[in-house]
Amino acid sequence: MSRLFSKKVLLLLTTCYILVYIMLLNKSILSIKNLTKTYGKKSSAFAALKGVSLDINKGESIAIIGKSGSGKSTLMHILALLDKPTSGSVEIDGVDSNQLSNKELNRLRNRRFGFVFQQFFMNANDTVLNNVILPLKIGGVAIRERKKRAMEALKAVELDDKAKNKAIDLSGGQKQRVCIARALVNNPKVIFADEPTGNLDSATGAAIEDLLFNLNKEKGITLIVVTHDAELAERCQRQLHIKDGQIIAPNADILKKGARV
Amino acid sequence: MKLIDIIKSANSNLLRNKGRTFLTILAIFIGSFTIIATSGIRTGVNNYIDTQMESAGGEGYIEIMPKALQEIMQSMMSFGSSAPTEYNPETNSTEMTVISEEDLEKIRQIPGIQSVKGARNIEAEYITSAKTDKKYLISPQALPSDRITIDIAEGRMIDIGGSAPEIILQPGYAEVLGYQSDADIVGETIELAVTEQATMQVQLVEVKVVGVLNKSIINMGRSWVNVAAETEILDVLYAHMPESYRNMVMFATAEWDSSLGDEGLEKIKDDLDALGFTGMTFEDQVGMIKSFFDAIILVFTIFGGIALLAASIGIINTLFMAVQERTREIGLMKAMGLGRGKIFLMFSVEAVALGFWGSAIGVGVAYLAKLIINPVAADTFLKDLPGFNLMEFDISMILILVAVVMAIAFLAGTLPARRAAKKDPIEALRYE
Repeated sequence: MSRLFSKKVLLLLTTCYILVYIMLLNKSILSIKNLTKTYGKKSSAFAALKGVSLDINKGESIAIIGKSGSGKSTLMHILALLDKPTSGSVEIDGVDSNQLSNKELNRLRNRRFGFVFQQFFMNANDTVLNNVILPLKIGGVAIRERKKRAMEALKAVELDDKAKNKAIDLSGGQKQRVCIARALVNNPKVIFADEPTGNLDSATGAAIEDLLFNLNKEKGITLIVVTHDAELAERCQRQLHIKDGQIIAPNADILKKGARV
Repeated sequence: MKLIDIIKSANSNLLRNKGRTFLTILAIFIGSFTIIATSGIRTGVNNYIDTQMESAGGEGYIEIMPKALQEIMQSMMSFGSSAPTEYNPETNSTEMTVISEEDLEKIRQIPGIQSVKGARNIEAEYITSAKTDKKYLISPQALPSDRITIDIAEGRMIDIGGSAPEIILQPGYAEVLGYQSDADIVGETIELAVTEQATMQVQLVEVKVVGVLNKSIINMGRSWVNVAAETEILDVLYAHMPESYRNMVMFATAEWDSSLGDEGLEKIKDDLDALGFTGMTFEDQVGMIKSFFDAIILVFTIFGGIALLAASIGIINTLFMAVQERTREIGLMKAMGLGRGKIFLMFSVEAVALGFWGSAIGVGVAYLAKLIINPVAADTFLKDLPGFNLMEFDISMILILVAVVMAIAFLAGTLPARRAAKKDPIEALRYE
């Protein structure tokens, strides 16, 4: 067998493999180029995003900050593949999202993304466990596996003892923790948090923030937070200020605090 | 999302608003129950007629009556018919309403007809026996063909061409005539009282009982006699009267070559029609009873169908409300990667589940109704018809109904399901 490949060829192949591996390691998880988004047609057209480019690295925590109407929500929706840009490209792990079918996009969102919303969006009359299970159910995971993983996720947010409770009986902070468990249950690469502390008092909000940043650090989950809470934004490694559909300080390195490569 | 999960969540979603779901299912139930119950009665009646046909009926004979007579009978049936009809000797003369000897001869000449016998009008005043003084009404009739199979409970078939007068009695006579049982009266001689039409004098004719019939709706209360008994009755009935009177015939029974099949039968019927007669086989007669009954059933089925139509509008309404209520949930699930097709499926399955539960409960309640109604009916208005189960269910019929209701529910569900599937996740999540 070894005669089929000369030593030189083997060496070359190994080098190539290592190079590709390093490239993949370094590659950003989300990358957008010249993104524009226009609502409406011709005369009444409104540009929500006017050419935004951005690279988000694996394991990074990033805050998208801006006033309402600045385009920050639109940017998040496009990053989360919930919306399609008018022009420009979104790459996930180096794959152009324009090349993906709806089915592949759904699968991708289900497997790699987790969502945390300000308004929780839980099924209030269902149990905590079933709420956490929902993404696994959508993903078609087998029943036994589902329960196991949901309990693990609940343990991670320290709510495993509430699994059988109805979601409606929980406090606001507990609800948001259940939502984080739900976002976590698929072992996502990225968690999108849209004003995660917006409906919580500052003490509970801080606890939720701690939880999110712990996940970011310990599990290496990329965290993308949309907020207008300056304190929360400060805790992220990078802050993106959006105004009138553009990033005000596009050079991320200048803003980077507690720099880490 | 797996299909089993979609079905499970559809069912649990239905339980979220129990009152609304209950009312929608109730509407479907009413329609399904109406259809299932009426079709159950239809099956019951048809099964009974079919078993009766097997025991009483027979192949290869055809009953003939003048078309003019049939028209008179029909005009008697149409209540309150208005305008007077002009007399037409071609169709309305008395001559046209009877079957003459020449007519019988012409019928005999029709290819495929093997024999014809005119049914003479015989009557008995009453029946009695040596064992009792009591007198009971009876309507004897000559059995025109031994191809007519009759349902005999005791004894044997009459010997049509035999020299001794014989009779097969309707059930019930044995006890009232002083005998222990039906078996007891077989072989005994009873007396038929016949009135001379010319003198009004009553004469007794002795006839031997050879058998007793089973109860049946198809025999219509007739007791069958053979030719010998018929002749004796006619001798008394038309004594001192012209021969022509005695030979007057309104109905005739012909035997035909059944190896000719349905086509041959059609040809014979056409030939009879050309001669001014209508021919009906036993199947035709039973078919008339059945089609009359089917028409009634059809009306009820249409009512049930209308109820189902209204119920399907209820399904549309219920699901539109559900889609509206669950807008944010739909948005969330879409964000989490649930595709349009699955969302559509979720709501259609919910509609189908409504249809399933409504029709299944309809079937269940109809079955309970059957358990209650059948014994009650058998003890009251069907008392004289043993073996008649008022309601009977046909498994395939039930499955078809449930499937059709589910299909209707699915179609009704497509409208709201489409709306749910088309929802934009971002808009849906913003919905307050």
